[in-house]
Amino acid sequence: MMSEFLKEMKSGKWIAVLVCVAAFALLPIVLQEGYLSLVNEMLILAVAACGLNLMMGYAGMVSFGPAGLYAVGAYTTGLILVYTKIPFWLALAAGPIMAGVVSVVVGWFCVRLTHVYFSLLTLAFSQIIHTILFEWYDFTRGDDGIVDIPVPSFLSSITHYYYFSLVAICVCLFVLWKIVNSPFGKTLQALRENPERTEFIGINVRRYQLAVFIISGVFLGIAGALYCGFNKNVFPDFADMMKSTEMIVVCLMGGIYNFLGPVVGSVVYMFLDKLISSNTHYWPLVLGCVIIALLIFMRGGVVGFVSEKLAPRGEERG
Amino acid sequence: MQVLNLAHASLYMLGAYLCFWVSSLLSQAAGSFWWSLFAAPLLVAVFGGILEAMLLRRIYDRDVLDQFLLTFALILIIGDLCKLAWGVEYHTVDTPWPLDGPVIFGGLVFPKYNLFLIGCGPLLYVCLWSLINKTRLGSVVRAVTYNRDMASALGVNVSWVYTGVFMLGCWLAGLGGALVAPMSAVMPGMDMVVLIDCFIIVVIGGLGSISGAFLGSIIFGLVTAFGILVAPRLAIAFGFILMIIVLIIRPWGLMGKPE
Repeated sequence: MMSEFLKEMKSGKWIAVLVCVAAFALLPIVLQEGYLSLVNEMLILAVAACGLNLMMGYAGMVSFGPAGLYAVGAYTTGLILVYTKIPFWLALAAGPIMAGVVSVVVGWFCVRLTHVYFSLLTLAFSQIIHTILFEWYDFTRGDDGIVDIPVPSFLSSITHYYYFSLVAICVCLFVLWKIVNSPFGKTLQALRENPERTEFIGINVRRYQLAVFIISGVFLGIAGALYCGFNKNVFPDFADMMKSTEMIVVCLMGGIYNFLGPVVGSVVYMFLDKLISSNTHYWPLVLGCVIIALLIFMRGGVVGFVSEKLAPRGEERG
Repeated sequence: MQVLNLAHASLYMLGAYLCFWVSSLLSQAAGSFWWSLFAAPLLVAVFGGILEAMLLRRIYDRDVLDQFLLTFALILIIGDLCKLAWGVEYHTVDTPWPLDGPVIFGGLVFPKYNLFLIGCGPLLYVCLWSLINKTRLGSVVRAVTYNRDMASALGVNVSWVYTGVFMLGCWLAGLGGALVAPMSAVMPGMDMVVLIDCFIIVVIGGLGSISGAFLGSIIFGLVTAFGILVAPRLAIAFGFILMIIVLIIRPWGLMGKPE
């Protein structure tokens, strides 16, 4: 694994990665706070979308309810910070852990089903999570959400929180990249292409699917916890269908067969969101049109589209 | 048709809005509601036919993710168009003339309109069931659903059948919306409520089975109604729990057929 990493380092890709990270690190100097928080939101959405993409793009399991696990992460962190005196770091870590635990339960049921039934069951579970958050008024404060979550003073400025989440996000993306390129990741891709054949070579399909469901859940939980610290308020909306669809659209916009696709998708999506909703109330109308255009004209997403145009003729794209 | 259409609920909402619109246009004429009950579903069906021909037709052979997204996009678009056309405020439709007021039935007071709706449900079910199972047209539709290529080879114009069935579905959605308009307020967001209920019902009953949908809605109605009695706050969750149980025991639904 180390030698693979070194090989990758030599290939010059690392320069590009380093330049990107440096560019993001320098952004606070150039940008106003409003735009900085937009970039921060973009990056958090990118982690959620990458976590979802591990399951959707690599393992071929289409989930309609990623927002449920995202909300579990956000609410766990938020509730711990509001109700107890547990330090911020532990509360932040509890979000993903709780999301992981919930995805063990949800995943155990879901991987029993395939195709559209799998997707419908994930949707049902995320709706249950939404109902619980919405209805359990005494604990989750229902519709009002949890507001004014205490965050340590050194993280309360936008710039500081930006650096903090940038580091966290880089770590997450690195870990995901390692997972995708490990034998485990290759097995997932085999599962996507042909589950029957993968089973014939002696792989326990359900166990792998459950594993990827949990990993993806943990990353969604991380995104949720980070967003909770960023926004300082959490609402039941985090678990609703609109949020799930947002994540799926982000993946699709960027291109689901590419590792960085969701990151690109998240940048494009948030940019469009900001641009359009500052001009009109009818953001959903435009979003709908964008989705339709994507589906009909750009099936590989932005990354797929660009690499198709750049690729030499006659060569299959990866 | 084996197409996942989330936008169905939006067409239902559109039906309700059109019912309101037509009946307010004709508010001077007698029986305005009955005219709008006739016109609104037809307009929805025409609209659905256009959607099918322009958009949905392109995604039949794609995977379920694309269908989910395309129809979700339609939800967003139709929802916003309704807001643009009719504003965000509540609208109400008056209960039509012969059916307003209550009826006393064995000591219980019932609104007449509710009884009318209770009658409409089974009637529509019987009509639809016999259309699909007893007529020649129905057998063509079933053949197309079962095997597109074979039906096409036998000389059925498959794409017309798809458009037709889709329009019929839209007509029903529009009719549902128009029928519900006098009972509840017509407003943005009414689509999401039905969408999730319909989803649960169809999954419980079995995808692609009319009897299943009918049975599913009865079971769903009973479970939620009793759920409200037992634990009012968690009533919404009961439907989902039912759906999860059904999906685990019989993933293809109560009346569906295993793949």
